[in-house]
Amino acid sequence: MKRLNTLNLLVASVAAAALMAFAPVPGAGQDKQKGGKGKGGPPGAEQYGPYYAAPVTPGEPLGRTPDGQPDMQGFWTPRFNQAVFEVQNHPTAQPGIGPGKGAIVDPADGRIPYKPEAAAKAKELFTKQIYLEPEAHCFVSGVPHAAYQQFGYQIVQPAGYVLFLTEYAHTYRAIPTDGRPHISPNIKLFRGDSVGKWDGGTLVIDTTNQNGKTWFDMAGNFTTQGIHVVERITPVDSNNINYEAVVDDASIYTQPWKIAGQIGRHPDKNMELMEFACVEGNQDLVHYTEGVGGKAKEKAR
Amino acid sequence: MAGQNFKGYTAPRTADGKPDLQGVWQVMNTAAVNLEDHIALLDMPAGRSVIVDPPDGKIPYQPAAAQKQKENFKNRAKLDLLNQCFIPGVPRVMYLPFPMQIVQTPKYVLVASEFAHTLRMIYMDGSKHPPDVDFWIGDSRGHWEGETLVVDVANLNPDTWFDRSGNFHSDALHIVERLTRTEPDLITYQATLEDAKVFTRPWTIRMLLYRHREPNAKLLEYECNAYLEDAGKENR
Repeated sequence: MKRLNTLNLLVASVAAAALMAFAPVPGAGQDKQKGGKGKGGPPGAEQYGPYYAAPVTPGEPLGRTPDGQPDMQGFWTPRFNQAVFEVQNHPTAQPGIGPGKGAIVDPADGRIPYKPEAAAKAKELFTKQIYLEPEAHCFVSGVPHAAYQQFGYQIVQPAGYVLFLTEYAHTYRAIPTDGRPHISPNIKLFRGDSVGKWDGGTLVIDTTNQNGKTWFDMAGNFTTQGIHVVERITPVDSNNINYEAVVDDASIYTQPWKIAGQIGRHPDKNMELMEFACVEGNQDLVHYTEGVGGKAKEKAR
Repeated sequence: MAGQNFKGYTAPRTADGKPDLQGVWQVMNTAAVNLEDHIALLDMPAGRSVIVDPPDGKIPYQPAAAQKQKENFKNRAKLDLLNQCFIPGVPRVMYLPFPMQIVQTPKYVLVASEFAHTLRMIYMDGSKHPPDVDFWIGDSRGHWEGETLVVDVANLNPDTWFDRSGNFHSDALHIVERLTRTEPDLITYQATLEDAKVFTRPWTIRMLLYRHREPNAKLLEYECNAYLEDAGKENR
C-alpha cells in the first residue's frame, strides 16, 4: 500500500515553508530581484502561505444538534490561518516568513502589546533560537493557535461537547459544554484546559492551565503559564463562523489583546480527516539550520 | 468473564437510539505488556493471557514469525516504536495504560486516548475503507449489531506492535472488534485478528474496559514526544 506518511505530507506543508525558507534565504527584496514569487531563486515564505481557506459563500441557516447546540459539524478552514506563520502584522519579510497580515485586531496596529523584556525575549527566540519552534518538534499546539491550525479541522458535537479534530498531528481538542469547572491550577497542559458554554448563538470557551511551552506562530511569539484565553465562536450560517479570542497574560503584556477572523466551511462534502502523523516522520528540525540567525540545536538527520 | 455473564443488561441509549458507550474508559490488565501469559520483568508486571481463541492463549504464529517475535522481544527497547512515541495502532491503543474517552454522534464513534492525544475515528455512515493508503491508527468503519458496536479495521501500518513484547503483524492485518456495554460501568472488548502473512489462523482477544467513575474524571495529556526530548533522548 502507498504510505501516507509525514514525510510526504511535510513536503507539501508547514515544513516546506520552513525548509525552503530556512535554507540560506535572503530577504524578500532579494527574492524579488531574483524573479520573485515562484520564478526560481531562493523562494520566500509567501509562496507557501496562507494555507487553503474556503471561499466566502453564503450558507443556509444552521440546524441544531439533538442536545440543542447550533450544529457546526463538518470540515472548516480558518481564513486567518496565515497567523500560523506570524500572528502579528508583519509588513516586511523576516527570515522564513513573508510579509503579511496577522490576525490581531486590538491593538489597532496588529502587534502584540509586549512589555519590553517580553518583546526582547520574542525577538531573541525568533532570531536566535528558532529551533525551539514547538511545531517543529511536533508538540501539540496551544490555544488560540489550535483555532487557526494549518490544514483546518473537523468539528464534531457529541452531547455535551464541542470537539475540534485537527489533521495536523491527528489530534483532538475537546471542549465540554456541561458547565464543569476548570481542573486544578496545579496541572499545566500543552493544550490547556478548556470549558465552554453557549451564550445564545455564541460558544464562549475559557482556556486556562496552559503550560507555557507553545507559541502563537513560527515567529517566536511565546506564551507563559499565565496565559488566559477567552474565545467567542459565533456561527453565522452553515458556511461561515466568526471567531474572536481575547488573550491576557499580565506577566508579559501591557494589556489584553484580541485576534479575530472568519472560519469557512470546506466545500468538499466528501472530506474525511487524513492522518498527518508528525512524530512518526518528523524531518522539520533539520530545516532550522545554521545561518538563519540561529544555531541548530538538533543534529541533522 | 464477568462482562459476559451479565445477561439481560441493556445499555442506555443516545439521542439517535444507539447503545451509549460514552465515557472515560480504561483496561485494568497488562495486555500492553504482553497479550500472552507472562511473568514479570522490570517495569513489566506479570499477567494472564487475554487471548481467548486459540484456547492455549497463545498467538498462532507461523514458524518464521515466531522466530521474529523472539528477536523483537530481545531488541524491544530499540524496536518498539511506542518507545519513540509513535501512534500506537489498533488494537494496542485500546489497552494502553492510559484512559480513553469514547464519544458518539450518529455519524461517528470517536475514541480519544490520553496517550499523545491519539485520535481514532470510527465511521458509522456505511462507508468503505479507502483504497491505497495506510494509517498508523488504521481505518475503522463500524456498524451496530443490537447491543454491540462492530468495527472493521484495515489499512494498518505494518510497523506497529501489539504490545511491549514484540508481538507483531504485517500490512495484511485485518481486525474485527466487538464492543458491548455489558454492565453500566463495563465494556466487553473483543477483537479478532487475521493476517495470513504472519499467523496460521485468526485469533481473538477479549478484555474488559472499566469506566472511570470519579466525578472529576477527565482526560489530561501525555505528550510523549515532548517528554522524550526533556529526557534528552533522540526519538529515533
